[in-house]
Amino acid sequence: MRDLFRFLFRHRNNMLFLALLALSMSLLINGNMHQRAQAISSSNAMVGQLYAWRSEVAGYADLREVNRRMAAALADARNQQYATPLRQDTVHVVRDTVRMQTYAFITAQVINSTVHKERNYITLGSGSLAGIAPDMGVIGMNGLVGIVRDVSPHFALVTSVLGNEYRTSVQLKRTGHYGLLSWDTGDPATASMTDVANHVPVHAGDTVVTRGNDNIFPPGIPVGTVTEVREAPGSNFHDIKLHLSEDLGRTAYVHVVIDLLKAERDTLEAKAVRP
Amino acid sequence: MTSTIRHHILSFIVLVLLQALVLDHLDLANGWVVPYLYVLFLIALPFDTPPWATLLLGFALGMAMDFFSSTPGMHASACTVMAYARLLLLRILSPREGYDAVKRPTVAHMGLNWYLTFAGTLVVLHHLWLFFVEVYRFDHFFSTFIRAVMSAAATLLLCLLTQALTAREASSR
Repeated sequence: MRDLFRFLFRHRNNMLFLALLALSMSLLINGNMHQRAQAISSSNAMVGQLYAWRSEVAGYADLREVNRRMAAALADARNQQYATPLRQDTVHVVRDTVRMQTYAFITAQVINSTVHKERNYITLGSGSLAGIAPDMGVIGMNGLVGIVRDVSPHFALVTSVLGNEYRTSVQLKRTGHYGLLSWDTGDPATASMTDVANHVPVHAGDTVVTRGNDNIFPPGIPVGTVTEVREAPGSNFHDIKLHLSEDLGRTAYVHVVIDLLKAERDTLEAKAVRP
Repeated sequence: MTSTIRHHILSFIVLVLLQALVLDHLDLANGWVVPYLYVLFLIALPFDTPPWATLLLGFALGMAMDFFSSTPGMHASACTVMAYARLLLLRILSPREGYDAVKRPTVAHMGLNWYLTFAGTLVVLHHLWLFFVEVYRFDHFFSTFIRAVMSAAATLLLCLLTQALTAREASSR
């Protein structure tokens, strides 16, 4: 017994090392397996506040560019507004009073983001008090950004499309074929579309949009444009490379998507899987 | 003694904040080079730091970074491994008569060769561990390896630069 204690005492530093290593590895494995609610994340209050301050300072450097984009977005909105009356006197427009609003959008400011890690996260300056909840879609001014993973009262942590934590269902706008978005290029400007069969005619320049089947994103949100189509030998699927339409390195403001009919649809679909 | 402790607490805070608020947002060479200067804290600890303190400080430093980058355990495991390697390395690189109590692990005190061996080994080890844990698999082995080594070179350069810039202030204490 005394020898055992002597042994333990002599190796106390090695023991401490092994204990700390085991602790950090278990954090690592749990953190990667279960994506939910962790105290260790930048949506916690103190770290979020620090990032908010940083964003205040760094924000000034981007103001000119942000203003230009805002002005462009405003111009687009105006164009659509003036275009509507012209379309109203054609027979194709149905003034539909039966349809209701399906999606609502919350504007949020990006206070921290990375693009060059293996998995990238974005911290938003609004949280559950603004109505944001986990699993809501996040879209930028030009296209897809990510999905909310975790929220605190004033902040939200978003998993960016740059990181393969989930696969968004996307669609070729021209042909309507479905596929999955996958970020395997390691480059913040590009991504891949997988699971599109070989017989589908895809060309460089085709637009890829969200499919909107998952109650996360509305259908038709721009994702990117096809830059390259390759046939992998021995595969039944195209190897499609996209240029992402949202420049995630400079996204400053985003819209968080609320699907107002999600609860209704989930209840209905739950009946189907019930034995 | 108290001023040494205060100096190291301050450097812990400054290095973690510098890493999280500035260095993590640099996009050098399209993401191929990510310097992790915060490990300088572990490198610069005094020679007579007790082994258990080195290990605990390494773990704490890693956890602090994990809070900022939302990566539970990633930096913590890398820094724990690095702290343990530091203990072994100090034993291997020890001069015959032991370390001089007034000296600290800097270029000015130990010479460039000694410093590059010591800090270089630790930084390369830390970065390899960190980058491979981040990728979480061993395909693209070579590109991850190159990223880790290039980033380690950048980190080492920043370490030398930081010590050169703070050298006069440190020697006057």
